[in-house]
Amino acid sequence: MPITVQVPTPMREQAGGKAEVAVGGATVRAALDDLVKQYPGLAPKLFDGGKLRPYVNVFVNDEDIRYLDEMDTAVADGQVVALIPAVAGG
Amino acid sequence: MTDPNPLDRYSRQMRFPGIGKAGQEKLLASRVTLCGCGALGTVLANTLVRAGVGFVRVVDRDFVEPSNLQRQVLFDESDVRDNLPKAEAAAVKLRRINSAVTVEPVVADIDRTNVEDLCRDADLILDGSDNFEVRYLVNDVAVKLGKPWVYGGAVGSQGMTMTIIPGETPCLRCVFEAAPNPGDVGTCETAGVLAPTVSIVASFQAAEALKLLSGSRDAVSRELLMVDVWENTHKRVKVAPLRGRKGQCPCCARRNFEWLDGAHGTQTTTLCGRNAVQVSHRAAGRLDFEQLAGVLRTSGPVTFNKFLLKFQLEEKGEPFEFTVFPDGRAIIKGTSEPDRARTLYAKYVGH
Repeated sequence: MPITVQVPTPMREQAGGKAEVAVGGATVRAALDDLVKQYPGLAPKLFDGGKLRPYVNVFVNDEDIRYLDEMDTAVADGQVVALIPAVAGG
Repeated sequence: MTDPNPLDRYSRQMRFPGIGKAGQEKLLASRVTLCGCGALGTVLANTLVRAGVGFVRVVDRDFVEPSNLQRQVLFDESDVRDNLPKAEAAAVKLRRINSAVTVEPVVADIDRTNVEDLCRDADLILDGSDNFEVRYLVNDVAVKLGKPWVYGGAVGSQGMTMTIIPGETPCLRCVFEAAPNPGDVGTCETAGVLAPTVSIVASFQAAEALKLLSGSRDAVSRELLMVDVWENTHKRVKVAPLRGRKGQCPCCARRNFEWLDGAHGTQTTTLCGRNAVQVSHRAAGRLDFEQLAGVLRTSGPVTFNKFLLKFQLEEKGEPFEFTVFPDGRAIIKGTSEPDRARTLYAKYVGH
C-alpha cells in the first residue's frame, strides 16, 4: 500500500483535480519529491528555492513534521501525509 | 427590557454544569474585542451577545452589501439600502437581541496604529476578519499584552480554528510562520464560501470564548481544528509541541512584534470576496464629505451620509466605485490591483 498525500483545495488544480495522490518514498522529502514528479505544477505552490513555503504545514499521521524530523521524517506505506495551508477568508 | 430577574434569560446556559451561575456572572463581567464583523464576526457577535458577554466591541471597516446576506447573519436588505457600515448595523441588531449588555461599534480599519488601543481593555480577542494582515497583527498584540485570542478562517467548504493562550499554547506564527501571498490560497472571491462553513467555524470559536470567559480554561481546545462540510472531514491535529518553535518563533519566543512594528503589512489591502482594494490613507482630521462631494461631482455621481461617501467613476470605459470613510480610508471597487487603486485614490481623493 503506497503513501497517501492529501492535497489541499487551493493546490488541486495543479494535481489534476485530485484530493489524494499515491506516492512512494521513505521520508517526507522523498514522498513530496515523488508528488512533484507526478505533478510538476505543484512545485512552485509547495517550494520556494528548494524550501517548503512557510504557510504550508506538513502533517504525518496528524503530527506536524516540525516537531518530528522535519523533511527527514520517516514515512511508511499506508501512512497519510497531509499538506495543510492556513485558511484565509472569513 | 425591565426584568425582575435579569439572569432568567440565561437559565438554560447556567443549568449547563460547565458554566453555572458563577460562570454566567463572569461572562456578564467580561469584555471582548471582535476584530471584523463579516461572516465569522456576525455569528460570533450574535452568540456572545445572546450568551450575556457584558461588553462587546465590534470593529469593522466595511459596509453591508447584497452579496453579504447569504451568510452574514445579522444583516438584512434594509442595511444594504441604507448603506450602513457593518459595525453600526450589527450594533442595532445586537442591542435589540440583548439590551442588558454593552455593544460598542467601531467603524475602522484595524491596523498597527490602532490595534493595541482596540484590544488593551479586552479579556479576549476574537478573529472575525477575512485576512492575514489583521490576524498577524492580532497575534502580535495578543502575545504582547498576554491576552487569549481565537483564530478562525473559512473559505469554500473548508474552515480552520485554533485558540491561542500566550505562554500556554503555540501562537499563530508558531503554527503558520508566514502569511500566504495573495492568490496562493483560496479567497472568498476565487473559491466562494458556504454559510455552514462559516457558522461552524465561528460556533467553535464562540464555544472557546465561552470557556475562556466563564473560567473554564482547562476545557479549551489545544489543537488545530479543521473541517470540510462538503468532503465530510473533521480533523484535529496536535500543535502543542510547536509552542515557541524551539525558541525561534519571532513573535512569542523572541517577542519581535514584526506586524505591530510595521515590518510587514501594507497600506493597501485586496479585499476577500470582491474585486476591490482598500486604500488606507489616514487624513489628519476627519474628511468633510460635503466639500469632497462638491469636488467629485464634476467627475461622476456622488452620494453620502454621515458614515460614508460613495462616488462612481468611469475611466477609460471601466467603471469604479469609491466608498470613502471619514477617516480618509477608501474601498475602491472595480480593480484588484493595489497599484491601480492607489493611483485612483491619489487622483480623486488624495491630496
